Amino acid sequence: MDNGEAPLDLASRKLTLSDFQKVRTLGTGTFARVVLVRPAHGTEEDRSRVYALKMLRKTEVIKLKQLDHVRHERRILSDVSGHPFITNFVASFSDHDFLYLLLDYIPGGELFTYLRKYRRFDEDMARFYAAEIVLVLEYLHEQQGGIAYRDMKPENLLLDAEGHIKLVDFGFAKRLGNNDDEHAVETYTLCGTPEYLAPEVIHNKGHTTAVDWWALGILIYEFLTGYPPFWHQNPIEIYKQIVEKPVVFPHDPPISPAAQDIIRQLCTVDRSRRLGNISGGAARVKAHPFFNGVDWDATIQQRQRGPIIPPVRYPGDAQCFDIYPEEDATRDEYTDDMAARYDDYFTDF
Amino acid sequence: MSSAGFTSPFGANSNPFGSNRVDTGAMHRVIEEDENDIVTSPTTPNFGSGAAFRGPFGADSAYDPPTAGLRSPPPNPEGYPHQYNFARRTSVSAESLKPVADTYDNWTPPSHPKSPEQLERLKHAIGGNFLFSHLDDEQSAQILGALVEKPIPTKGIKVIIQGDAGDFFYVVEEGSFDVYVNPTGALQVGPDGKGQLVGKIEAGGSFGELALMYGAPRAATVISAEPHCTLWALDRVTFRRILMESTFARRRMYESFLEEVPLLSSLTPYERSKIADALESQKFPPGHTIIREGDPGHSFFLLESGEAVAYRKGNETPVKHYKKGDFFGELALLNDAPRAASVVSQTEVKVATLGKSAFQRLLGPVEGIMRRTKYVGVKSGVEEMDPLQVS
Repeated sequence: MDNGEAPLDLASRKLTLSDFQKVRTLGTGTFARVVLVRPAHGTEEDRSRVYALKMLRKTEVIKLKQLDHVRHERRILSDVSGHPFITNFVASFSDHDFLYLLLDYIPGGELFTYLRKYRRFDEDMARFYAAEIVLVLEYLHEQQGGIAYRDMKPENLLLDAEGHIKLVDFGFAKRLGNNDDEHAVETYTLCGTPEYLAPEVIHNKGHTTAVDWWALGILIYEFLTGYPPFWHQNPIEIYKQIVEKPVVFPHDPPISPAAQDIIRQLCTVDRSRRLGNISGGAARVKAHPFFNGVDWDATIQQRQRGPIIPPVRYPGDAQCFDIYPEEDATRDEYTDDMAARYDDYFTDF
Repeated sequence: MSSAGFTSPFGANSNPFGSNRVDTGAMHRVIEEDENDIVTSPTTPNFGSGAAFRGPFGADSAYDPPTAGLRSPPPNPEGYPHQYNFARRTSVSAESLKPVADTYDNWTPPSHPKSPEQLERLKHAIGGNFLFSHLDDEQSAQILGALVEKPIPTKGIKVIIQGDAGDFFYVVEEGSFDVYVNPTGALQVGPDGKGQLVGKIEAGGSFGELALMYGAPRAATVISAEPHCTLWALDRVTFRRILMESTFARRRMYESFLEEVPLLSSLTPYERSKIADALESQKFPPGHTIIREGDPGHSFFLLESGEAVAYRKGNETPVKHYKKGDFFGELALLNDAPRAASVVSQTEVKVATLGKSAFQRLLGPVEGIMRRTKYVGVKSGVEEMDPLQVS
């Protein structure tokens, strides 16, 4: 391998996997794996950097009918990159079997891990994270022309070294536009995570950015109690509860009236009444009593460190991530036939 | 280059702390395995089972959380939902669907003829199911039409197999079926491979509804318990498409109707779409008074189908006729003034209606919308067109 001093050009679309050295896997999904990597060559400064490389196996993308979703992911990630609470997109490339998204490495691990470790967050902690998420949703929905994120959950929120949120995994994000062209503003493909699905998604009524506000309500509930409001071993029973049952709160831990109110207002089945979707949008959410005392300018400028400071000892430290098997279970061949049929879909990479 | 050439400098599973947490990999496998727990769910939560819940950090961590003493939460934490599973949750997704009007292909829902008795039984069988209970009459009729008969001639036929991808929902028309669950999450070979008998489904019952949402692996094996059984089958794409096409068509219709309402002419397409989303459909028989002169006005109406007329007190001749696409009562969005006329249905009518409060919740006060610069010369238009304007 070339160990020369020539700088590594990340903007080049000619990157290949051999430009990177794998450190270890940070997470796995149904058709993707995220690995911590270092540049394999370039200047010394280049080689001291670390990145998260998301690898999507083409055969699985096709098999799971996620072609549209991976294309949206690539497009939207590069569009929204640079927001303080969104993982930064660096480059994309592809080879015969894989699509790759090169992202900044966020060393603090998943908020999910901390939530399970602490069992639940107190209201100040929950408010801190919820406030950062409100700003992300305001940005996606209102400043980016109607991007629905569609997979809000603690597993998709990473903490950076200062304890701030980074939203990752835009695999289900979709630009719904604002209907100034011929396209509908609502979309119909069911996707998300069972406990966090909005009722209109379950009923296939066509859904919009309003699904993210519903999910924020579920998320605040899970922050405060340690579990989501609708749960059952059988997913069908979860869906039944979501469309039929009101959110109920436990006696222990006690949830403040303001927190109960914002959760109820976000988790409102009727979208014409759901906070965030009604007149005023995100501004109304920010004005809710639950967020009393939040300095929104300080929040977006990240003037305060987060309530949890991840134990990150050096930039490429991966101790905050769980350990995953390094090999994929399945390895279907991406045949020439498939390449001829599908490679056109992947030209953005 | 394949991943085979992609080796870690530290070797697979390298962990600077050398913990045994690699075991937790079982928690993070793909959808299929997670979903296998659906019915059996023998998985008591991994929470507290030691390795799975050591938290992310090794002992040398500088990290000192408030709950540092709590290395391993109690195995049966008080207050948590029964058997709550604390593992990572996997995302789910159905195949992407786009409405016909978007894709220009041709699609009409399949329709398989049924006798009135069969239709009645099917209606009854799916009526209480939350995936069907919110459908309107047209959607219900299309869904019932799309169910296709599937004869199961002999005993012992496996209709669905635990662990296999599921694409169909079934209603039992005749006969009965046994339900087996293997705790491994999938049908195994051998005489006991189907696992334990956990239930029986008789005529009028149904199974496999999760397949109507997305392609999850089956949670059980279902086997015909007698000869000459009959099922009705419905596949996910047909089901979701019927719902999507009718919703899509109706929303576009509402949006085009709303475009014609002068009072709302300054709405952006996005705002119109929000209003279309909030409109509620109502049906009235012929001769029904939809709004009554003198009553306070709270909502406005779009006529979706049928015909209606407006009367004023002391005048038996209608002052206006309404047909599909017409609207009335929109001044209620502006003020609470009493209705200036009555509107009565002449035929069976379907209206889409929206209250002032819903409108204001979504878009703020109508006055604000009227004040927009685009709103020029519209006021007189309203007066000319709407007999409900207080004179």
